[in-house]
Amino acid sequence: MSAHTASAEITFHPEHAEGTKKIWKTFWLLSIITIIELGIGLAIYNIHKGKDPNETLVLMFKGMVCILTLAKAYYIVSIFMHLGDEIRNMIMTIVVPLSLFIWFIIAFLWDGNSWKNLRNTNAGTKEYKVEKVEKPAATEKGAKD
Amino acid sequence: MSTTAMPTNTKWWNGGRSPFNISYGKVMMWYFLMSDAFTFGAFLISYGTLRFSQNHWVDPNHVFNSFPFAGHSNLPLAFVSLMTFILIFSSVTMVLAVHEGHNMNKKGVEKYMILTIIGGLAFLSCQAWEWTHLLTGEHAVWVNGHVEYWNTTVSHNPFGPEITINGQEYATPGPISFGSYFFEITGFHGFHVFSGVIINIIMLIKTRMGHFEQRGHYEMIEKAGLYWHFVDLVWVFVFLCFYLI
Amino acid sequence: MSSVATLHGADVHTGHDDAHHGHHHETFISKYVFSQDHKMIAKQFLVTGIIWAIIGGMFSVIFRLQLGYPDATFPILEDFFGHWAKGGRIEPEFYYALVTMHGTILVFFVLTAGLSGTFANFLIPLQVGARDMASPMLNMLSYWFFFTASIVMFSSLFVQTGPASGGWTIYPPLSALGDASSGSKIGMDLWLVSMALFIVSSLLGGLNYISTILNLRTKGMSMTRLPLTVWSLFFTAVLGVLSFPVLLSGAILLLFDRNMGTSFFLSDIVINGKILPNEGGSAILFQHLFWFLGHPEVYIILLPAMGMSSEIISVNSRKPIFGYMAMVGSLFAIAILAFLVWAHHMFVTGLNPFLGSVFVLLTLLIAVPSAIKVFNWLTTLWRGSIRFTPGMLFAIGFVSLFISGGLTGIFLGNSGLDLHLHDTYFVIAHFHIVMGVASFFGMFAGVYHWYPKMFGRYLNNTMAYIHFWVTIIGAYLIFWPMHYEGLAGMPRRYYDYSNWQSFKQFGGLNEFISFVAMIVFATQLLFVFNFFYSMFKGRKVTSSNPWGANTLEWTTPINPGHGNWPGEIPEVYRGAYDYAKDGREFTPQNTPLGENESGDHH
Repeated sequence: MSAHTASAEITFHPEHAEGTKKIWKTFWLLSIITIIELGIGLAIYNIHKGKDPNETLVLMFKGMVCILTLAKAYYIVSIFMHLGDEIRNMIMTIVVPLSLFIWFIIAFLWDGNSWKNLRNTNAGTKEYKVEKVEKPAATEKGAKD
Repeated sequence: MSTTAMPTNTKWWNGGRSPFNISYGKVMMWYFLMSDAFTFGAFLISYGTLRFSQNHWVDPNHVFNSFPFAGHSNLPLAFVSLMTFILIFSSVTMVLAVHEGHNMNKKGVEKYMILTIIGGLAFLSCQAWEWTHLLTGEHAVWVNGHVEYWNTTVSHNPFGPEITINGQEYATPGPISFGSYFFEITGFHGFHVFSGVIINIIMLIKTRMGHFEQRGHYEMIEKAGLYWHFVDLVWVFVFLCFYLI
Repeated sequence: MSSVATLHGADVHTGHDDAHHGHHHETFISKYVFSQDHKMIAKQFLVTGIIWAIIGGMFSVIFRLQLGYPDATFPILEDFFGHWAKGGRIEPEFYYALVTMHGTILVFFVLTAGLSGTFANFLIPLQVGARDMASPMLNMLSYWFFFTASIVMFSSLFVQTGPASGGWTIYPPLSALGDASSGSKIGMDLWLVSMALFIVSSLLGGLNYISTILNLRTKGMSMTRLPLTVWSLFFTAVLGVLSFPVLLSGAILLLFDRNMGTSFFLSDIVINGKILPNEGGSAILFQHLFWFLGHPEVYIILLPAMGMSSEIISVNSRKPIFGYMAMVGSLFAIAILAFLVWAHHMFVTGLNPFLGSVFVLLTLLIAVPSAIKVFNWLTTLWRGSIRFTPGMLFAIGFVSLFISGGLTGIFLGNSGLDLHLHDTYFVIAHFHIVMGVASFFGMFAGVYHWYPKMFGRYLNNTMAYIHFWVTIIGAYLIFWPMHYEGLAGMPRRYYDYSNWQSFKQFGGLNEFISFVAMIVFATQLLFVFNFFYSMFKGRKVTSSNPWGANTLEWTTPINPGHGNWPGEIPEVYRGAYDYAKDGREFTPQNTPLGENESGDHH
């Protein structure tokens, strides 16, 4: 029996004998991901600085940053918060409710985008035209939002 | 520890024991964090919704491009990366404190708790500097046919699209919701960091007084750790939403 | 090292080793005020809820006076409300304040805190076999946060400019701008602060309910042996823990918009001839945030009523519940769907119509689990040997109301039909029947059924039967005609319908509705009288299991002390619904399996 009993409901005491190697490995992993993210952030910055920024490229970069952020979140929750070490029941009760965020995000952003369209087309009565302050580079819009 | 060491035939759900093999306190902490995740999620998602509804949004690299003692040099992303690393590092010291707690090493817990608290305070100081910088730093803005000098607040900011007047480029007023959300969300996160620091200080005092040693386990440190990592986790998303994209 | 320790009885919850030594050191304060006993906290929630219900119900009677008798004056109103009811006729601002507070009070303070606060606290530890909640301390705090929220909300009734009056949904910009109406001033701030406290209360409570149900079940009480009440309270708590924070976000943003000059929900507004600088916000965003809570909230209100009705119907039909697993599954499905359908409250606000069509689809899916539940209740009743106790009557009444209110939900869930029906009395009729009155019936059923466990006495049966029959007939008489008014296009939230030629024809009907509403309200006062009278003078309970029920709460003494079981916590060997099995009328859960018994078969 392990020396410490936190609570009576705990019926099985796993060993916490593993060293700190895993923690430091995760630290380096998180740092590297962050540095990659910064690199991408600077890349986006440079694309914006140039004339006629490539929207698709920027969008792709932004998508990559989002994925990297999710990876970071995974490592923090799984290693630092030790969720990865819990038994499957626990993991599922945390992860399954979080999936509610999927529809939460999709529906909200979808509607936000729709407000923009409504505004720009005067609720569908005129052709879609990006309202711009008098500047020729109309392409700027997509890149900046 | 590895999951393979668990007895595989245990009937976890049959009552008389925790189905997760963790104490009710930790279950409550996890569910509290879930709840808090929905609070932050709602903030960030509504920020995203308003951002999607605008034709123009602020380019973060224009806003967050300064560094303390670096004058007017243009250093996009530099300061916020420092803040991110501070928080990640304090997360590491926190998890090391939890680790020392498992080993019932009081001195180790104390050492790492102190480091974590220092990390938290450093982060808060950085945030204070950044807020001050935004609230005091003024930029020329073309408003109603003349130039004004605007700082960044919850109700206005100078980061709108640029226009050319008489061959000269001027910024226009930026989307108000940018400043509103920036201060609101980073403020709410900062409040969490602050309360996390307070919790950690209480934990440190309790460790020093030997409460956990008497109790025979350092589970309270684990719970405080969960909270602290959650604060770090939220920052990862704030960093993404406000600074990177 | 890795031994699986066996747990038994008393030390399941280390904090309560001394539980069975009874209540010697208890003072009045620690026993009745700052009590950490879940049963006492439940009673505190119930009594506070009853007080709120009287206030909220009273408000509806006052504004029904206005709606039913728009031309009459009632001088007594002026005596009570002063300038709010000059000349004995309530002012329009006061009318809106009454409507708003009626909704707020009944939805949050009565049917959320009063209903799930009461029964989750009371039933969860008793039915899962625990000595108390996981954390009695946080449980006590949960009540006191609710109490503080109540005080703040109550005090907002007395500020000079009046309480919040923008409807219980507090849509901005009306609620965001102090100049918009008198109810949008300090009353609105107090509303938001009160709700923030309320959310903390519901969070503390919800965390306790979840961790108690998961971690503190007694030995043998597997999840599939839990009574349906506990399942429903479990999902209620999950809904609360995950959806209330979103309202908290909305409330915080709204407070900022009101006081700090932000533009979250405000854009392009002219007020008193002045253009506001706010730009780029969206009022629909608030509605999204509000209804992300608001829809799960409907189920937070309804699920406990469903669970208690299931239990009571099974006990009093002397039959196992039909389709236990289907009941649990449909509760689960409802809990999930509750999070996915919020925008069906917003079809006509400017929501993207294509997005709306997805919400229509998801909304109509709710009909499936609801139908399963109705079918199972009816088949449980089918050929049972029914005992028409007051609790049973109210449970059956719940089923009736759930069916008749639920069916109109199918109309409203269609965005095409909703164009015509939204914001009419049809909506009022729908949600009052399916969520308001139905949940009240679930609550009454629970009170009548578990009153003997709460106070060791029975409620008076004669008063109970009068209460039931007047209430169910009255509820239908009040809300059924509203469907016709709504179909005819009569909008909700109007102060005086006699101003419109097209609604003049409903003058008599409105008068009739108001008249019935007063009778029904008076009957509720009869129930309140019965409640407090029986507490002291009611017939005493003589057997520890008066209804012959299977669940664990009836294995405790008639007046259980703190800790619930004087000896060891009973062990559970079977599901909660072994009625009429093997020739026995009922078989409590702690009865060991007989020699030839097969155990669980759902």
